[in-house]
Amino acid sequence: MIQTIVYGFTIGAILYFFSIGLALTFGTMHIINFAHGMVYALGVYLFISFLKALGNSFLLSLAASVIVMLPVAYIVERFVIRRLYGESLDYAIIATYGVLLIGTDLIKLVWGTTPYPVNDPIGLAVPLAGLDLPFYRILIVISAVLLFLALRLFFKRSIIGQIVIAALEDSDGVRCLGLDVNRYFSIIFVLGSALAVLGGILYAPISTAEPYMGFHILLLAFAVVIVGGMGNINGTFAAAMVLGMVMAVTGRIWSQAATTMVFVVMALVLIFRPMESD
Amino acid sequence: MLEISDLHVAYGHAQVIHGLNLVLRPGEMVFIVGRNGAGKTTLLKTIAGLIQPAKGEIRFEGRAVAGEPPERLARAGFRFVAQDKKVFSNLSVRANIALAAHGSGTPIEEAWSKAIQLYPKLEEFRALPAGRLSGGQREILLIGRALVGAPRLLLIDEPTEGLAAIVIEDIFRILNGMRHTLSFIIVEQNLSVVTRLADRIYVMKEGQIIREIADRSEIADTAQLETYL
Repeated sequence: MIQTIVYGFTIGAILYFFSIGLALTFGTMHIINFAHGMVYALGVYLFISFLKALGNSFLLSLAASVIVMLPVAYIVERFVIRRLYGESLDYAIIATYGVLLIGTDLIKLVWGTTPYPVNDPIGLAVPLAGLDLPFYRILIVISAVLLFLALRLFFKRSIIGQIVIAALEDSDGVRCLGLDVNRYFSIIFVLGSALAVLGGILYAPISTAEPYMGFHILLLAFAVVIVGGMGNINGTFAAAMVLGMVMAVTGRIWSQAATTMVFVVMALVLIFRPMESD
Repeated sequence: MLEISDLHVAYGHAQVIHGLNLVLRPGEMVFIVGRNGAGKTTLLKTIAGLIQPAKGEIRFEGRAVAGEPPERLARAGFRFVAQDKKVFSNLSVRANIALAAHGSGTPIEEAWSKAIQLYPKLEEFRALPAGRLSGGQREILLIGRALVGAPRLLLIDEPTEGLAAIVIEDIFRILNGMRHTLSFIIVEQNLSVVTRLADRIYVMKEGQIIREIADRSEIADTAQLETYL
C-alpha cells in the first residue's frame, strides 16, 4: 500500500507540473491550449539528445532543454496563442491542436517512433516498511510540493503574480489600470511551458519517451484542471494529487481502469460541484 | 477635452449606439441618465477602450483615440470604474491600490496615502482581502484605485447603485470634493446625486442622446428628470 501511495503522489506530482501551466492559460487567457502537450514532448526529446551530447549529465541536460524550450514556448504564445485572445474556443482548440500535431510529427521525423527509455539518474532506494522505495520518485514528490509553495509565494508576494491573480478575476479591470495583460500572460505562458518540460523530463526515467506522450498527459491534465477549478492555483495542486492517487489505487486493483477512473471522478465533480454564478 | 461624433457601437449584429454625439469640457462633471438598455454602459466602455466602435470618432484633447486599447488610454489618463463593483477580491485592499500604482508608475506609498486621504477608513482594511469589503467600501476602493497616478478623465458607471443612503452620501462627498479638478462622465440613476453634482446632463434613449440639459433650474428639476428613467 505504501508503494501505491508513493506511486500515486508521483503521478500527481507530474500531473501538477504539467497542469499548472494549462490551468493558468485557461484561467487568464480563456484558451484551451493543446500546444502544451507539444512543448512537453519536444522538451523531453531534446533532453534525451542533450543527455547524449552532455555525457549523460541529467541536471545539465535538464537545464539545457528547459532553456531551449523557453523561446519555443514564446514563439507559440506570440504567433499562435496571442492571436486567439477573445476568439471563440473552437479556434483555440483547432489552432493549438494543429501545433500539437506538427510537434508530434516533428518528433517522429527527427527521433523516430521507437520509444526511448531514460535511466533513473539517482538509482537509490529508500527502505520503508520492508519495501525498497525508489528515492527518485520521492524526490519528484518533494519537487512538486516545493514548486507549489514557490508558486504560492510568487502569486502572493510578487507584483507579476498579483497582476495575474487580478487578471484571473477581471482582466478588463487590470487593463483599465494601464497594465498590458498580454505581457504578463506571455510570462505566465512561458513559465507554465517550462514547468511542463520540467515535469516531462522528471517523468521520463519512470516512463518512456514516445512521440504521443503529449497527447496522453493532456487528457489527464484537462481532468486535473476541471476538477481543480480553472485557474485555481491551490485547486490544481490538490486535484493533481487526488487524481494521481486515484490512478495509482485503481491501477493496483484493476490496471486497465486506472485512466478511466480519473474521468469518472471528473464527471462526478462536474455533476455535484455547485454551479458558479457569473 | 473629449469629443464624440457619430459614434456607432454594435454587439455582433445588434446595434446598441446609433450615431451618438457628445462633448465634455475640461473640469466638467457630466451625467448620463436614461432607462435600462439605453446604451449608457456601452458608451462608457467604448470610451474606455473596452469595446471597439463600429464607426465614428472619439477625440481626446484633439487626438483620435477610438479603438485604442484600454491600457493605452489608461496611461493617457482615462479611468473607468465599472458598474459591478468588481474589486480584485483575492488581493488585499492595499494590493488593489498597489496594482494601480504599478500601472501608472506611481510609488506605492504615494498611491496609498492618496487613497487614505480620500477615505481614511481604508487604513483599517489595508490587509483585508478586498472581496470582504461591503458594496460601498468596494466602490470607494474602485474610485480610489482610479485616482492613482495622473487621471484626467473619470468614467464612472452607476457609483451609487444598490448602496445604503449613508454610503451614497460618502460617495457624494468624494465626488463633490473632486469637482473641477478632473473631468467626469458619470452614468447615474440616483437623481438626488445627479441634481446636486451635474454641470450638464445628457439623456440617452435607444442608443442616442435625445436631450442635453445645461440649465441649472432644469438640472434641479427632479420631476422632469424622472420621466427619462
